[in-house]
Amino acid sequence: MATTGTRGYRPGLVDLASGQISREIFVSDEIYAEEQERVFARAWLFVGHESQIPDPGDYFVSRMGEESVILCRDRGGKVHVFLNSCRHRGMKVCRYDEGNAAVFTCPYHGWSYGTDGALVGVPYFREAYRSKLDKAKWGLVEVAQLACYKGTVWATWDAAAPPFLEYLGEFRRFLDLILDGWDGREGQAELLGGVQKWLIPCNWKFPAENFSGDSYHNISHRSVDLVGVGPSGRSRRDYGELNASRKLHVAFPDRGHQTITYLMPRDHVPQPAYQNSPEVAEYFRHCEEERRKRPGPNARLIGAPGEIFPNLALLPRQPRTLAVWHPKSAHQTEVWRFFFVDRDAPQQVKDFLRDYYIRYSGPAGMTEQDDMENWNYAHAASRGVIARRYPYSYEMGLGEAVEDYEFEGFRMPGRVIDLTAAQASEEPMRNLYGRWAQFMEAESWDELMTWRRKVPREAVAAK
Amino acid sequence: MSDPINIRDLRPGTTVVLLSGAEAEIIDNPKDGVWLFARYLTSPDNPELVGREEMIFAQEVVDTR
Repeated sequence: MATTGTRGYRPGLVDLASGQISREIFVSDEIYAEEQERVFARAWLFVGHESQIPDPGDYFVSRMGEESVILCRDRGGKVHVFLNSCRHRGMKVCRYDEGNAAVFTCPYHGWSYGTDGALVGVPYFREAYRSKLDKAKWGLVEVAQLACYKGTVWATWDAAAPPFLEYLGEFRRFLDLILDGWDGREGQAELLGGVQKWLIPCNWKFPAENFSGDSYHNISHRSVDLVGVGPSGRSRRDYGELNASRKLHVAFPDRGHQTITYLMPRDHVPQPAYQNSPEVAEYFRHCEEERRKRPGPNARLIGAPGEIFPNLALLPRQPRTLAVWHPKSAHQTEVWRFFFVDRDAPQQVKDFLRDYYIRYSGPAGMTEQDDMENWNYAHAASRGVIARRYPYSYEMGLGEAVEDYEFEGFRMPGRVIDLTAAQASEEPMRNLYGRWAQFMEAESWDELMTWRRKVPREAVAAK
Repeated sequence: MSDPINIRDLRPGTTVVLLSGAEAEIIDNPKDGVWLFARYLTSPDNPELVGREEMIFAQEVVDTR
């Protein structure tokens, strides 16, 4: 897969048949520029959490791709996401991370916008514009679609994108694992503290593929396992029930979402966990018991790292976080980590989890430091003209995925590889890059919504 | 030319004098240093403004009462 003189994206850089992917898609400035338009201007992106803006006038400055955006609640209580750029000369109209405002005022010439995005203040409107400027035309640019789902806020710039839940498809159950309470009650997640933000010198796809379900890299964390940062003082996490579960890679090729998940046997008894604190251990024992009593598919699922296309990682279990890989350039990513706890959990549980989360994740987290070393040096070592000639290998588990996976009466949707014996596969990474290539090649959402063209299985059977 | 007024410090109820000679009473101050929400009390050049609530640009404020 040596590069030709052609620059930018071209079919063949992602070769799923052979399991080879060109390094160009990680290090090319031209491809990076193209993916801002073709991926980030079209996909649904995670913006924030409603608990960050509980009151009218509250705002949180977020990002969508390279764009700075304002997530805010207007005076009437409605949630909006606006491009953080004055319509007059482009200056940011909000330069704080979060707060409460009556208006967003551009410091350059003074144009001012209400929390509903309307242009409300134009200096010398009567004198210089003779009251002729049509203010209704010059409000803040608002996203084409916005969705609030169990507290999380998502947006897309593309009016032709499918509704958010359709975009999510059957991956929704894995997002639910982080947003629902540990005991299974709906939408109990609460943001814990602020958002950790830091820069890493690598392309955003390095962390995105890692969180898609790379369990092959666990050797990197061997030293952390030895230290024992887990909530019981052993290893990294308390995953005792995993020994009895089926370890699965689950991927949705028509959506680009993928994850590791663990499927517990029917009637499995909760394992002790969080033994470093008897009170916290008792809280989770009770929650696990309650969760198993609930109907629905998630009672037997244990969440693990996954990725919602393109740049939102979820880790529903330990530590319970969402991470966003914001692209800054082909060679730099801004990482944002949101940590979650059960809203109704005792303060002692929240405090214990905060300590554990920080010990594990974020710029000072021991495991995240391991990962960053790998991503950052892999990126740097792939930029040279010689290095770029040689593709990466994504051949592990090629051709092994099945549809209609079933275990003890639980049918798992999507393409699944049972890793219980194999330990690892690269199906999730192939899934991520397969979808990424579709976005890079498709001219519109009509081409990307392949599921709408499929004939339902029941209809085929009836023929 | 008088010294500029730091409009961030102005409280609701304060009367401001504008470049045009109009006077307005502050209703609310978003404290962005650029705008005030105010109601016109007098407006010799444009009497239609009297009683109207508008956003007042900081550069138009020349004095307070």
